[in-house]
Amino acid sequence: MIEEINLKEMNDEEILELMQEDLYDGYQEEIIEEVRELLNREMTAYDILTNGLVAGMDIVGVDFRDGILFVPEVLMSAKAMKGGMKILRPLLAESDAPKQGTVVIGTVKGDIHDIGKNLVAMMLEGAGFEVINIGINNDVDSYLEAIEEHQPDILGMSALLTTTMPYMRTVINTLKDQGLRNDLNVLVGGAPLNDAFAEDIEADAYCRDAAVAVDTAKKFMKIKQGS
Amino acid sequence: MMDELKTSSQNEHTLIMMPSGRRGQIPEGMSLLDAAESMGVQIESICGGRQTCGKCHVLVEEGYYDKHGIRSLPGHLSSPPGEETQLLEEMEIPDQRLACAARVHGDLLITVPEESRAQKQIIRKTASERIIEVDPAVRKYYVEVEAAQLGKHRGDWGRLQDALEDQWGLTGLEIDLHVLRNIQPVLREKDWKVTATLWDEQRVIDLEPGYQEGVYGLAVDVGSTTVASYLTDLRTGELLAAASQMNPQVSFGEDLMSRVSFAMNRSDGLQKMNDVIIKTINTLAGQAAREAGIRARDIQEIVLVGNTTMMHLLLGINPRELGGAPFALANQEALNIPTRELGLRLHPGANAYIPPAEAGHVGADNIGVLIAEEPQGKKGATLTVDIGTNAEIVLTSADRMLSASSPTGPAFEGGQISAGMRAAPGAIERVRIDPETKFPRFQVIGEEKWSDHWNLNKDASLEEQPQHLASGICGSGIIEVVAELFLSGILAPNGRFNPQISTDHMQWDEEQRQGAYILAGAEQTSSGKPLLVTQEDIRNIQLAKAALYAGAKLLMKRSGVKSIDQIILAGAFGSYINPRQAMILGLIPDCDLDQVYAVGNAAGDGARIMLLNREKRREAERLAGEIRYIETAVDQNFQEEFVRAIHIPHQSDEFPHLKGLLPTQIEPLPPARKRRHRRTK
Repeated sequence: MIEEINLKEMNDEEILELMQEDLYDGYQEEIIEEVRELLNREMTAYDILTNGLVAGMDIVGVDFRDGILFVPEVLMSAKAMKGGMKILRPLLAESDAPKQGTVVIGTVKGDIHDIGKNLVAMMLEGAGFEVINIGINNDVDSYLEAIEEHQPDILGMSALLTTTMPYMRTVINTLKDQGLRNDLNVLVGGAPLNDAFAEDIEADAYCRDAAVAVDTAKKFMKIKQGS
Repeated sequence: MMDELKTSSQNEHTLIMMPSGRRGQIPEGMSLLDAAESMGVQIESICGGRQTCGKCHVLVEEGYYDKHGIRSLPGHLSSPPGEETQLLEEMEIPDQRLACAARVHGDLLITVPEESRAQKQIIRKTASERIIEVDPAVRKYYVEVEAAQLGKHRGDWGRLQDALEDQWGLTGLEIDLHVLRNIQPVLREKDWKVTATLWDEQRVIDLEPGYQEGVYGLAVDVGSTTVASYLTDLRTGELLAAASQMNPQVSFGEDLMSRVSFAMNRSDGLQKMNDVIIKTINTLAGQAAREAGIRARDIQEIVLVGNTTMMHLLLGINPRELGGAPFALANQEALNIPTRELGLRLHPGANAYIPPAEAGHVGADNIGVLIAEEPQGKKGATLTVDIGTNAEIVLTSADRMLSASSPTGPAFEGGQISAGMRAAPGAIERVRIDPETKFPRFQVIGEEKWSDHWNLNKDASLEEQPQHLASGICGSGIIEVVAELFLSGILAPNGRFNPQISTDHMQWDEEQRQGAYILAGAEQTSSGKPLLVTQEDIRNIQLAKAALYAGAKLLMKRSGVKSIDQIILAGAFGSYINPRQAMILGLIPDCDLDQVYAVGNAAGDGARIMLLNREKRREAERLAGEIRYIETAVDQNFQEEFVRAIHIPHQSDEFPHLKGLLPTQIEPLPPARKRRHRRTK
């Protein structure tokens, strides 16, 4: 026998738990319904985000890292998350709730592949970051423009080709020249990269997949907010 | 981890052997020969390490290798003893070392030349015999020239032209300087009777006394992994000899982009890669000529096909611009170039023809495939797929020809797969899994018997024991194992190992989260360790196959083609794919399985056809102009198509032609996480 779920009969804790499960399974409509219900109960947008959506995406991230979930499932979860965020975002903006952080992310000049990077962007959003995805084929100026406009905490760069990844060094060197490097954590990723390359170009970290990117971004935010 | 990559400790050093790419930690002072053996790289040695046979010669690569994170120097080997230096000088390879004599004292990147390999790479590219109308660019014409006479002030070349015009109707001719230099003795040797060799009815490239026969040409497919050459009699069209070798550029980068990087980052990178490829073609020409009983000097035309990067490197053009969008080619048109200028040692007047390219990464090799297979002349919609690190896809339908290049990555060549390897002896190439017992059986290259018929009893006679144990899994094996895992229910359509399938051949971690399939038991492998297919391997295959499928699907959408009538699988790898398994995996779209053809090295065949028939060159040039190249990566639907194609065989597309082959009942996957609050979905 299947119990019918009636949100009205559930307490707040149970609904948050249900949200995590629905997020895991990528049920967007249900997420929207649950967010509305909790808002009706006057739970703050920040609490819904943190204890419902972000907590749920954490679990998705762990299972993605372990190969249990894969790109299609994670995208479904991210879409469900987006549904909830659409309602929460304006409320969060009005409130003085603490922010997880802002990320500008884009694929470097010469490179037109961005499925992996888009997944990272979605997972970061899932973790509560504000993400500005500037797409493919970005030259230094386009990164600088986005940084000036959005004042991010983190810059993410991706490259799928061995031949385009050296451009990351050009971007980082320009950030240094303009005195912007110290205000930012630079995370890099993409198939041909590795830790040694990230260290060599003086990025802050190499992230081998979307799950690692989220963990790393959170780690840097913690350090930043702690200091 | 990183420190390990960068520095070698005093007791151990990093050794990388090319072209296999094997990597090992070698104790200080071990001989290269022993070190190679410990890594499973077999080097030829007849004298048993006494520095007398010289068979084990290898090349030390010099410099810092970013990709491998090591600095390799000749000084990282013990200095050569006198006998070694002497022997190498006699062999005219003073820059090489004998693996038996050299001891390891530091990090090294070593290239084992083809001839030094005990276990020769299996390159199964054999040219097929096909009917081609013979109309070559190079032809011989026998003429009788008017003798020189006092009072007639016409030069010998002028009188040869008169004879060629009178007797063959050839006008407006030019002559090579090397021919002119000898024209007088040659004309007089056999009483003014000569045979002139002309290129394209316009240039005299050779002149021989008397009546002569024999015109030869070479077709070469410069693959990024394998270079294959076909020596052809240009008069009869007969294939005289075929010779192939690994592309030695592999040492500078496995895939195309690493080679482009090598040319970008090293001032001598382009030169090095150009040198080795020219040298390889010269070697192959010599080899094929010897086999046919002629000399390389007798080869009077060569047709070269290859992807755009290969063609840039061959021509000595820096492929830098191909490294990033917009992937601009230095040249897209067909070329005729004197082979002398390329450094090829063929006939001094030999011409090299290079067919046109389609777009940034769709090159003359793809044109070669189209010339050989002529999908453009077939009824219905034909999908031509050439699978490598990049998959070139061409869709031809009633009135359109579209092409695309999909980044499949190295998975189908064994890269990014934990037990992956190239197609060489010991590589698993066929796999079947019993749907009931979930037990695998497999076939390795170099061994006819399937693994379930192997006699592994140590006391059995040598003939009864398998010659090669399983040492890895190659591209065709990878496709088969994933398809079989899916068919037997071990793998769910979403690519996850089903933890509810109980079999001794699955291995799980304590929490039952991460699984791996045991394809070969410890006793069946050369390493003595079980050979596993991991969840991550499956994920990498899913990404690779989705890239190809999504590319094909986008071309179908753009052409308004609903279903495919015929699929042509080209390339060495394509010949060994089982079409049924490839379709079950969802690598290729639905199609009548009888209409899926593996055509082998079609690019090489296309080169042979263009060598033999001039009209085919014009056709190639027309085709290149008509094909529309689609940059799939920037198509707004690509991501969606890609994600849907990750499922096995596909999330939403139907495969009516696999009816009865696909499992009717798929074992439900238990939820990855149990829900406390159940939903009716």
